[in-house]
Amino acid sequence: MSRKLVPYFLLIPTLLIIGLFIYYPAVLTLKNSLYRVSPFGNRVFFVGAKNFEALLHSPSYQQEAWTTLIFVAVSITLGLIISLLFSLVLNEKVPGVGIFRTIVFSPYAVSPAIAGMLWSFLLNPVVGYVSYAFLKMFGVQSHWLTTYPSALIAIIIATIWQNLGFNIIFFLSGLQGIPDSYYEAAKIDGAGSVRRFFSITLPLLSPITFYLAIMDIIFTMFSSFGIIDIMTQGGPGNSTTTFIYRLYRDGFIYFNSGMASAESMILILIMGVVTFIYFKFVQRVVHYR
Amino acid sequence: MWRKLVVLSLAVVFLMSFAIAAPITIHFWHAMNGPLGEMVQKLVTEFNKTHPNIIVKADYAGSYSETLSKTIAAVKGGNPPDIVQIYDIGTQMMKDSGVIVPIQKFIDEDKTFDVNTLVPQVRGYYTIGGKLYSMPFNSSNPVIYYNKTLFKKAGLDPNNPPTTWEEFEKVARKLTIKKDGKTIQYGFTSGLIGWFFEQYMAVQNALMFNNGNGRIKRATKAVFDSPAGLRIFNFWNNMIQEGIMINGGPGWDNANAIFASQKAAMLLDSTSDVGMMLQQAKEGHFELGVMALPHPADVPYGGVIIGGASLWMINTHNPAKEQAAWTFLKWLEQTPQQVQWSEGTGYFPINKNAITKMMYQGFYAKYPQYLTTVFQLLMSNVTYATRGGVCGVFPKVRATIEEALSKVFNHTMTPAQALKWAQDQANEAIEQYNSLYQ
Repeated sequence: MSRKLVPYFLLIPTLLIIGLFIYYPAVLTLKNSLYRVSPFGNRVFFVGAKNFEALLHSPSYQQEAWTTLIFVAVSITLGLIISLLFSLVLNEKVPGVGIFRTIVFSPYAVSPAIAGMLWSFLLNPVVGYVSYAFLKMFGVQSHWLTTYPSALIAIIIATIWQNLGFNIIFFLSGLQGIPDSYYEAAKIDGAGSVRRFFSITLPLLSPITFYLAIMDIIFTMFSSFGIIDIMTQGGPGNSTTTFIYRLYRDGFIYFNSGMASAESMILILIMGVVTFIYFKFVQRVVHYR
Repeated sequence: MWRKLVVLSLAVVFLMSFAIAAPITIHFWHAMNGPLGEMVQKLVTEFNKTHPNIIVKADYAGSYSETLSKTIAAVKGGNPPDIVQIYDIGTQMMKDSGVIVPIQKFIDEDKTFDVNTLVPQVRGYYTIGGKLYSMPFNSSNPVIYYNKTLFKKAGLDPNNPPTTWEEFEKVARKLTIKKDGKTIQYGFTSGLIGWFFEQYMAVQNALMFNNGNGRIKRATKAVFDSPAGLRIFNFWNNMIQEGIMINGGPGWDNANAIFASQKAAMLLDSTSDVGMMLQQAKEGHFELGVMALPHPADVPYGGVIIGGASLWMINTHNPAKEQAAWTFLKWLEQTPQQVQWSEGTGYFPINKNAITKMMYQGFYAKYPQYLTTVFQLLMSNVTYATRGGVCGVFPKVRATIEEALSKVFNHTMTPAQALKWAQDQANEAIEQYNSLYQ
């Protein structure tokens, strides 16, 4: 009997913290999403599912769904490919590789707000370095942050850049965990470097890759609003407003907490589905050693 | 028996003296960071020194919207500050919050305070239905900064800047320089900021909302889809499409950087940046001019609206605390403090006597750029249009206008379509908000 109780007892501190900081706010959010609330909370009206109805019927929310999908899919796919390429290079035993690794990792240490500011200055239509380079190289006067679809592209680039270091660290540790003997055996069997990459490196990196994919989804879905807020504020014309940025605006700029809570519930639902898929299917496909 | 009585009375006297002497602590949340925050702290320290019975504790609470959302959280948590600095467009939200004491209450009670010392245009903004709700503090208005050196290079008279939109467009065209089909210098730049739209409305004396811009009664409809509004959309868009103006995009920083690097000759910005602009001009070796916001030639001139923030008193149900908070607010409004604040920050004084004092002391003669910033405001007519709109969903309205403008610049909508779309969005939000207070 006591054997059965001990594990639960040991779980109490964790459950307490999770309950207090995650489940309790989540339940409150669910409750809030069913009300219309004045900014200071002194007027509260129960509206049932009307907040959700309004959201699902709103053309701008539908547009934001597409923006979110494109933003998340492109920045994760491209981000993973680019960071894998970087990791392969940084995994080579060349002199000074430590310095290169530090340089590549450093963007991750920069806060999203600062990253946004940095890119915003680089992409300034007249005095930005990137715009200047484009003018010199291609003779194009680029207006990165004020035209479509370049604003979304700029946001994606900044997000990938910011997240690069995190991905690379994990890929590097994954690469270093692959024993050299596998490669040697493959070489003896006559496999070329491309074949070795696709038959050994990639499959053995799959657990890391899927872990990173999930982490990147969380990152791009939930913490990307800093970059967006500073670079484009969701514009031009709503074209860079993602779900999380809309939530931030409705909650903390427009003080419409009922609507923001409903959006939050939708995000929780999406994350639930992603996590479910991850545990249900992805784990089966991944090669664990 | 008498011994007990003496001890007891002594104890009572002791406790009472303690209660009287114990200073009252006032928590003051503000949204001023960097040098502005230091200036606030300096004033607070001085107040605490001269008022031993009151301790004001000033805390930086983040940006304007962060300060408002922290205040909301603190009110809900039951531990709000006593005084909080809230931005202009939060006025209706604060009025509806049910947790504030209108400053008018203290003005009516306290005969030592002369409300007529407030600059009328500033007082007009924070007065709704004849009541002054909050104490004006940091006020600004929009001006156009221009590069006198580039004016001279283009053969323009730097001391005769344009006053109408028509002249302004011509001047911007002259200041635009193209080389091999590429623009190397723009006539004009500005950030994509909804506040500027409101200002262009005000110079045309046009309303944003019905019911006297929401000042006679709660605003129920947005009315900016008007000939005046359309004219602004066209004016702004035409200059961008012609290539004599460059859109700095959202926020202030990008447009500012373009102007500071002399790639644009004129910049629409806030008067609160005048100190920074003078510094940039010095570093960039150009002469800085400041002109009043131009207006269409054929429309009677209205004026500009103040922006910035004011100080709100939260209802603590503690008269002693409220009196202490009022003492602090009153002190901040006095001439010496206003002179110190204005000279240290670039915000103009909200006290008329402080402006006069600064003029006598030669401040405006030394820095004529500062004079334009305050002169333009004093020249403005005080009408419902120039006192600014009051609306519970103003942050949303402003953002919607910005979105509509960017749709026009990107050819997704015509100016007329975008304006109508923005007004419809605003009306929907206003209706939702108002239904909470019926």
